[in-house]
Amino acid sequence: MSDVGASVPGRRRGGAVAIAIWLLALALALGVALRTRYVADLSAFLPSAPTPGQAVLLDQLKSGSASRLILVGIEGGDAATRNAASQRLGARLRETPHFASVDNGDSAPWQQAGRFVLGHRYALSPAVDAARFQVEGLRAAIDETLSLLGTPAGALIKPILLRDPTGETVRIAEALTPAQAPKVEDGVWVSRSAPRAVLVLTTRADGADLDGQQQALNAVRNAFGEQAQRPGANVAAEAALRLELSGAGSFGVAARERIKSEVERLAVWGGAIVVVLLWLAFASLRALAVALLPVATGVLAGIAAVSLGFGQVHGMTLGFGTTLIGEAVDYAIYYLIQARASAGAATPGSDTSHAGRWLRESWPTVRLGLVTSLIGFAALVFAGFPGLAQLGVFSIAGLLAAATTTRFVFPLIAPDGAPGAGLRQQLGRLMRRAAAALPRLRWGVVALAAAATVVLLVLPSPWRGQLSDLSPIDAVDLERDAALRADVGAPDAGTLVALSAADEAGALAAAEAVGARLDTLVKEGVLQGYASPARFLPSPATQRARLAALPDAATLSARLAEATEGGPLPATRLGAFVDEVQAARKDPPFDRRALEGTPLATAVDALLLRGDASRPWRALLNLQAAPGRTVEAERVRAAIAGIPGAQLVSIKPELDALYARYLRQAEWQAALGAAAVVALLALTLRNARRLVGVLLPIAAATVVVLAGLAASGAALGILHLVGLLLTVAIGSNYALFFDHLRRAPEVDEDTLASLLLANLTTVISFALLASSPIPVLRAVGAAVAPGALLCLVFSASFLGRPEPVGGRGKIAA
Amino acid sequence: MGKPGPDRLARRFAVLLVGLAAAAAAAATSAAGFDLAQLTTQLARIKSGEATFTEKRRVEMLDRTLESSGRLAFRAPDTFIRETLKPRREKLEVTGNVLTMSLGERSRTLQLDSAPEAAVIVEAVRGTLTGNRESLERLFDASVSGSAERWALELVPRDLRLRGQVASVRVSGRGPAVHEVQVLLADGDRSTMTIEPLPGGATP
Repeated sequence: MSDVGASVPGRRRGGAVAIAIWLLALALALGVALRTRYVADLSAFLPSAPTPGQAVLLDQLKSGSASRLILVGIEGGDAATRNAASQRLGARLRETPHFASVDNGDSAPWQQAGRFVLGHRYALSPAVDAARFQVEGLRAAIDETLSLLGTPAGALIKPILLRDPTGETVRIAEALTPAQAPKVEDGVWVSRSAPRAVLVLTTRADGADLDGQQQALNAVRNAFGEQAQRPGANVAAEAALRLELSGAGSFGVAARERIKSEVERLAVWGGAIVVVLLWLAFASLRALAVALLPVATGVLAGIAAVSLGFGQVHGMTLGFGTTLIGEAVDYAIYYLIQARASAGAATPGSDTSHAGRWLRESWPTVRLGLVTSLIGFAALVFAGFPGLAQLGVFSIAGLLAAATTTRFVFPLIAPDGAPGAGLRQQLGRLMRRAAAALPRLRWGVVALAAAATVVLLVLPSPWRGQLSDLSPIDAVDLERDAALRADVGAPDAGTLVALSAADEAGALAAAEAVGARLDTLVKEGVLQGYASPARFLPSPATQRARLAALPDAATLSARLAEATEGGPLPATRLGAFVDEVQAARKDPPFDRRALEGTPLATAVDALLLRGDASRPWRALLNLQAAPGRTVEAERVRAAIAGIPGAQLVSIKPELDALYARYLRQAEWQAALGAAAVVALLALTLRNARRLVGVLLPIAAATVVVLAGLAASGAALGILHLVGLLLTVAIGSNYALFFDHLRRAPEVDEDTLASLLLANLTTVISFALLASSPIPVLRAVGAAVAPGALLCLVFSASFLGRPEPVGGRGKIAA
Repeated sequence: MGKPGPDRLARRFAVLLVGLAAAAAAAATSAAGFDLAQLTTQLARIKSGEATFTEKRRVEMLDRTLESSGRLAFRAPDTFIRETLKPRREKLEVTGNVLTMSLGERSRTLQLDSAPEAAVIVEAVRGTLTGNRESLERLFDASVSGSAERWALELVPRDLRLRGQVASVRVSGRGPAVHEVQVLLADGDRSTMTIEPLPGGATP
């Protein structure tokens, strides 16, 4: 702004420098944008910086075992065909490299685990202690094992009876069998509620690795497709089978697809509409090309800023970026039309050039509008959601770049504005007529705002949005997911005890300590049971204690002889038992690595989260409420009190609390943002009457939009709040322009037309967002699109000059 | 009257046919004797009952037969309890789809439909005691021999996979009372449970 009065040669040099800087910045931004990683995962919709308990939760949601689950349903056809298809699909998927586990009720993959359990039974069995290897203990244990013979379970025990007469393997199997298991038919899991075979897959790929998830999903689809084409397939029967896939990974992949196609749709439509509007305004290719320069600069700058700040750019940010097209083009419209409108006798390059006049007369108003917009978007940066923060940074960088381009580059490349008039005259005339007529409706607007206030007071509070409202997943998909989860007994929103420790051994020891307390609650019937990683992998201390309880060979032989006296299984046949106990005494404790390659590893990994430099090791104990009851949080909290690092996490209430906290925080930020806009306007206008005049239409528009949303029955959340703040921030631009025009000696129709065009581009780009199936975008669009339009209309009503048409206003010649 | 007219001949022939058919039907009934429908109807009349049992298991690996004894109880429609008192206390209780096994302080619960091999044994006894024909036919190929007074019910699992574990269950009884349940496992082991109804235990 300081170069306005510089000498002509200085200006030329300055101009060359400005253009060089602009081109360099463009090249740099382009370079960054081309190297940027574009993502579209769901974690952007989860809040960041939560409490420690919530950190556990979000870790789990983002990359925990739950995020790696794929639930598969086979529907259609008859039961025998479905169940056989499940067998074949399971077997085929186990051969692929994509899955850490494939569970469908088939016991084949557990054989390996069985060998591991048998080999480490004295370290694993919860029954092993010194008393068990006394005469009495041995007798009771052997009797118990024998009581299973002659039943169907006996067939499994007989092959190992002489090695494991005390039945440690049985005890371990008991401890590892969950109380809630799916129904089994023909050896595979089936639904209890619908004709459907079900499988549960755990991908090797992390939940956040959507490419990996996509590969895994494709592998399932391909394997399912191949089954029907294998030789000897009953084509008619199998054609009736359908594959249903669900789970976090499939949601993530589907959401990514949706976001991708949505970004394309928004970009294409947003771009096309702006081009059409610009054509209406200028009917000149050159003008069109020039007008798109700040837009392109802004978009590139936005992408580069987000990329540098976050390391990646979310697809949602690009989708939202289309509103930037609508906003950034405003600066071009203002300049190209208004600089031309102020065309006079001035010579280019002097202070009195068109560009110079625009910079003097209109730029301060545009700049003020820019700053209010920036304040609005700044609130997004601090909204606590990484996804929203990206939108904020993108918009701020984009608007700054677009405005800077307009301010410093346009006077050089288009000193006289843009050629071509298009339908601008008609638009201008329409606008003038409207501007003249609208003030008469002033009291109507006041009445409307009053009515909206009443509506808001009468209706119950619409602020009842939930975290799940932000999720771009269909309700139908969620229902299918819930049904499949119920089939396999995999509850999603449960209650768990989370533990943290410095290392694997510490986490397991803590899990054992909590487990001992929870056992009491199970006995009292408060809980039905719980899952613990220590069942699959006891802590080294526990393993050592168990192995130390084993007697030496001589002692054991003597006790065994006494214990089996007169029984059906004489000690003379149990030589292998004595030898294996002897060998086990020398075993070192095993750790997680020893489980690699068995289904036990998958089971442990679901409950034991590896730590690293940035986060501790975590053990998770999922609680199962007693049938027909919910987990009594107070009882559990009391039970685990005093165990360091242990905390109770109830997923659903925790997430709700998290969201509520962010909503409160967002309310503060929105209030601060609005206050900052008001303060800025007060400082700039330095006149209470003008300030009130500018604020009234904005306040009225906000209240009317809010009442409209409330009356439509929408559940409003953080993003609607953000949208309202943006309405204030963007809407103030129009109020400021009307305030500026009111004090200008003359108003030309072109300037009015530029205002209308700028408003239309903004309203249309946000209306596009409002039509998006992605809730985050829809919420912002639904608030800003009507808000911006009303701001223009109400500003015209309050600030327009009620003179007759063709009065004092002078049309530039 | 003159010669029998064609009408009367036809009528006599018809009567003869009907008579023959009735005789054939009667013969067929006596050959099949007593069937599953009749047996389950007869058993279903008893709504609850208590009994003592002794069980002998012959296991090929062991030198001796395993013996145990205890109490049985059932209640229509779907509760069955087997409480072993000797040699050690042990309790198995089934209601609907939920099976609870208790041994001293330990107890574990599982859903019957998630463990078909357990369901086969439970359903053979529970289904017979409560006269649940639908459930028996769903799981087994059932054949009945004998009469209402002395009957035997042979149950072979329909599922081939299960037949690899439980070859057959043979239930025999007198009138509405079950007297013996014999389980033959696929590996040749067998258990025989002899049941003595407790006086006054049965309620119609």
